[in-house]
Amino acid sequence: MNLNPFWSMSANTSRKQRSDEEQSGQGEPRSSPARLPFGKKQLPPIPKNATPITKPASTGTPVQSANGTHASYGPFYLEYSLLAEFTLVIKQKLPGIYVQPSYKSALMWFGVIFIRHGLYQDGVFKFTVYIPDNYPDGECPKLVFDIPVFHPLVDPVSGELDVRRAFTKWRRNHNHIWQVLMYARTIFYKINTTEPLNPEAAVLYEKDVHLFKSKVVDSVKLCNSHLFDQPKIDDPYAISFSPWNPAVHEEAKERMFTYKRRPEDHHKGTHVSGLSWVKPGSTQPFSKEDGPPQS
Amino acid sequence: MASMVANGNRDGQSLVLKGVDPETCMIVFKNHWAQVVKILEKHDPLRSSSNLPSLSVINLSAGSSGGTRFGPIPGDEASAVQNYVEHMLFLLMEEECGQAGAMGPILEFVVMENVMERLFVWSLRREFTDDMKLEQLKMYEMLVGQAHQPLLHHKPILRPLMMLLSSCSGTAMSQVEAELVLLLNQLCCVLAKDPSILELFFHTSEDQGATNFLIFSLLIPFIHREGTVGQQARDALLLIMSLSAENERVAKHVAENTFFCPVLATGLSGLYSSLPTKLEVPNEEWHCLHKEDWLQMPSLVQFLNSLEFCNAVIQVAHPDIRNQLVAYIYNGFLVPVLAPALHKLTLEEVMTTTAYLDLFLRSVSEPALLQTFLSFILLHQHDNVHILDTLVSRINTPFQLGTVSLALFRTLIGLYCEDVMLQLILRYLIPCNHMMLSQRRVVRERDCYSVSAAKILALTPSCCSPDHSPPPLRQLDSILFSKGAETPNSNGNDTKESKSFLEEGDGSGNSCTIGSEIYLDVSYLHYLYDARMSISSCIRACQVWSAAYDGEDPPPEKFQPGVLEDPGLKSRQTQVALKRVPQPLVPRPRPCPPPSTDLPSIPQLELEWDDSYDACPVQTAESPVESKPLQPPVEPPQHIQEMRKTAIMLVKGSYIEENEFQDDVMVYDLVAKKDSRDVELAKLKSKTPESEETQTDSAEVPLKNGLSLTLPTSLMPENSKSSSGTKAKGQTDCNSNLQNNTTTTTAAAELGDDLLAQYEELIRTLDTEAGGKQFKTDGELKKPAIPLAEEDEEEEEMDFTSFSAETPEPEKLHSPFGKFCSGSAGRSQSVPFTGPFVSVLLSRMENMLSNSLHVNLLLTGILAQLAAYPQPLLRSFLLNTNLVFQPTVRSLYQVLATVKHQIEELAASRKDFPELITAAQHWLLARETSFMAADKSGSRHSTHGEAGRLLRSSPTPKPKAISLDRTDVFATVLFTEFLKEMAAIAQEHSILSYIPMEE
Repeated sequence: MNLNPFWSMSANTSRKQRSDEEQSGQGEPRSSPARLPFGKKQLPPIPKNATPITKPASTGTPVQSANGTHASYGPFYLEYSLLAEFTLVIKQKLPGIYVQPSYKSALMWFGVIFIRHGLYQDGVFKFTVYIPDNYPDGECPKLVFDIPVFHPLVDPVSGELDVRRAFTKWRRNHNHIWQVLMYARTIFYKINTTEPLNPEAAVLYEKDVHLFKSKVVDSVKLCNSHLFDQPKIDDPYAISFSPWNPAVHEEAKERMFTYKRRPEDHHKGTHVSGLSWVKPGSTQPFSKEDGPPQS
Repeated sequence: MASMVANGNRDGQSLVLKGVDPETCMIVFKNHWAQVVKILEKHDPLRSSSNLPSLSVINLSAGSSGGTRFGPIPGDEASAVQNYVEHMLFLLMEEECGQAGAMGPILEFVVMENVMERLFVWSLRREFTDDMKLEQLKMYEMLVGQAHQPLLHHKPILRPLMMLLSSCSGTAMSQVEAELVLLLNQLCCVLAKDPSILELFFHTSEDQGATNFLIFSLLIPFIHREGTVGQQARDALLLIMSLSAENERVAKHVAENTFFCPVLATGLSGLYSSLPTKLEVPNEEWHCLHKEDWLQMPSLVQFLNSLEFCNAVIQVAHPDIRNQLVAYIYNGFLVPVLAPALHKLTLEEVMTTTAYLDLFLRSVSEPALLQTFLSFILLHQHDNVHILDTLVSRINTPFQLGTVSLALFRTLIGLYCEDVMLQLILRYLIPCNHMMLSQRRVVRERDCYSVSAAKILALTPSCCSPDHSPPPLRQLDSILFSKGAETPNSNGNDTKESKSFLEEGDGSGNSCTIGSEIYLDVSYLHYLYDARMSISSCIRACQVWSAAYDGEDPPPEKFQPGVLEDPGLKSRQTQVALKRVPQPLVPRPRPCPPPSTDLPSIPQLELEWDDSYDACPVQTAESPVESKPLQPPVEPPQHIQEMRKTAIMLVKGSYIEENEFQDDVMVYDLVAKKDSRDVELAKLKSKTPESEETQTDSAEVPLKNGLSLTLPTSLMPENSKSSSGTKAKGQTDCNSNLQNNTTTTTAAAELGDDLLAQYEELIRTLDTEAGGKQFKTDGELKKPAIPLAEEDEEEEEMDFTSFSAETPEPEKLHSPFGKFCSGSAGRSQSVPFTGPFVSVLLSRMENMLSNSLHVNLLLTGILAQLAAYPQPLLRSFLLNTNLVFQPTVRSLYQVLATVKHQIEELAASRKDFPELITAAQHWLLARETSFMAADKSGSRHSTHGEAGRLLRSSPTPKPKAISLDRTDVFATVLFTEFLKEMAAIAQEHSILSYIPMEE
């Protein structure tokens, strides 16, 4: 599995940061996510001035605070920020990770992660990502496994992954959701036991790896046995599994494998085509060698 | 003979023939023929049987005029022959093929007995009148069209047909012409279906010693004909053209031995000359020729037919023909006719030509032809000024010309052509001089959090905030002034976001609904949808481009000042010129405009972004002393005053903030100085050109060019002809000949002299044939070049006289623009400059409040079009509000901020402003609705006509309580909408430009 070097670096630094903060006593109180009632979350009103905060350097523009105009467009900015995040995820081609924003809200993404080797081999873990609605200026997104996997960093009750240890402070422009997903994948390959959300798992891993392993195998089995369950959240775009049914899946599989050739054919059909007679490497118009001008 | 065709009893006969056995038919046929032969031989002086050696000697033209030859043929005998022949032809037509494609017995008999040829000779022997020709043509038309077996493979049938055809050339009677073209068309159809006959057509005509490919030559005179005849001829020619793509021989013949291409191209010139030189403009908002407009103008319809034909020929013909035609269009129409027309003396004429050019560009679709038009616009220089620069400078003219020019650029930008965008904008952005060095990486940065969109929308004037709008207008969606696409389909997955917006929070479980409590501007969704459409189609189109234009490719370092002046360009142009048949080569102008050489060089930055308006960069305070004596000038003519007013306005608008020019007087002074300097220059030029020549090399160039330009241009038609002659002997290098001395030119001309003579002859016959109406002979064709010389002089004079107290003449207005010389290639790149086009757009944009609604619609439309381009250089320049530009570079955002400021001031000073805004919104709403309705009934318009949809000259709703003169109010509404449009484009870019197309 190829780890993205960029990310692993940033993960390391953030971990370092965290320990630095701890030393200086500024570590945020780590509340157990289990106590966070997602369901009853009160949506804070969109701030009056929803203009994303820009770099302090860019001043001079008359910023109209308390102008209703901005607030009206706030949701659009949020929506597009999330869409941009989503396209970034697509671009990363994270191995074994699939996500899909929910139908009802771009702030909630459904995902599934396939573990292909290591202790958690053959694990298929469904999860949900919750993004704060003041994204990207709020806290880091939460990632909650549908079934609490047996893992030192996964809360055994709520199933929430301890994401914050990797992203102590969510920094816009630096942190992206794909990094959270990547992090969720990494924990299954590289076990970290410091400050666990599941102390039992941590202790076992340190003291009795064999027992830990067997617990993990049980946990993987449990998760996989619930694979075909109805999605926990009722949403048209929720990820659901069903046994292989040739009538349904064969055709889809076929399409997935033939998809690659399609885009080209597609835009051959549509007659939107630009023109260029510029020779590559030149900035002169009509610099292409003679011969039939082509479109 | 073919009267049965006219009588229309053919069908009855064929019914009778059904079921009759072939042998009986054969016997009947032979009997008839025996009877005919009896009569034929009775009148044949030679009494020869089937062989007719005399035939090839017969002088056809004598036959048609000479009347009876061997004594009169009695009428009863003639009609007897005719009756027999009618029956025989039916039998022949109805005969089926023999076994395995062999000839049927009747056909075999016809071939063996040489029936058709003998019949043709028989008709020659009688009086060969037009009526006779008509009959024979109809006979063959029927045979060719309806025979069940292929007939044309057989020489004894083909030969008399060809003789008949050649006897019909130069015929005068329109019915004969119509029938001839119909038959030719049919022959071409047969050829297209069965190219194997082609060889026979060539051979047959060789026997005759006439032109090689008769049916083709006969069609040429009808190329530009109106109506059905012309259409049929063009269709037939197109069939031959597509044949030429596969058949080298046809291609070679057409390109080398016929006048097809010159006739086509010069025909365009001829047709162009009959177009109205001044258009009746229906109303102030009119800005381009729509189909409804040109359908009312027969001459324009005819021109477009021919242009469309050229387009079709280029599409299907062999590359040789295509290249030749394209070259003739360039050198025979664009350069000698359209270029001078674009530089006519009155505003109306120039405006009309511009509208024509726009229409032509919209009518042409073949890349090769588009390339011809575009290279004319981008590279051709008229009076040392690139056509493009002239066109750009006209955007700023205050009259209809400015509006029409804007529409032209909307068309140009909508072509997604790299070369156009390169010349207009990108070349100025490539060096990245317009931004701070540290900012280069920002160019490619992605605006993940819609920061730019937010900043753009934050410019919304407070009076236009959606919260202030009255309930019915809160959604504002109908004011959407662009595209008018359907509202996002609520089932489409594209609109996931829209739904999540509109949906109230369901309060259940973990779902997080965004913004449920906030009023949302629904129209913004439409803008997003439109932005998505336009950006994705633009991205698709630009895949053929050569570079990414992202600040790295092409590398900015490579195109730093000085290097941009690519030495390869000249040779490039030469190559282009060579490719397109000799044309006078003009030495490239120096990078420095001549005026600045004899005046103290000045930092051009102060006024750099709107100096495209003026002829030359405006000077700063240090005035040249020698200009003093000329002041104070006599009251300048009105157009100068007008210019000043605009200039002052521009300067005021843009520089108040910088505090660089605090009072109008100073600016006025500047303009005046510039004017006086012009005068002085003109004086200098007219008085002592020689001294100047020796002193400043660069100043001499344009003058000399002006002369050397006009001379060869007047020779142009001949030159191109000579080239067609010499071309047969291989591509010549007439180019250099032309450039240097006339002796070689004449030599070259002599080379092709006889072909030239033939050509002239042809044109002349065409002229008479076409009713003497459509075609100009060479002499006339030269005409456009002559006024050119005069115009040149006149301009010189005009500059000089422009200060004498005179009655204001609007036509003189064009001279300052025509002499606009800070040309695209000319400007030194050391001063950050984003190009004259951007400058002029932004300066007009800055004047939004005083622009008419229609101008603003066009302006915002063009800017939105530009913003949809995915190239990071362009995108970051227009949309990235974080990018830090050089202090002298004006950004769109700055301009928008200025406009907002103006609006806020205006709104604060007027109590009734909100009401007026509401009225304007209602008015625009009603207008939009009426267009939507019209659109639904009518067909969709071209892709790049978004704003045009609003501007079409269809009835507009009656303004309620607000006059269109309140440009400030309308501009305010439009401004607000434009902000949304741009913000939506910025937002969509943050998504679309980063999705890899392949996946």
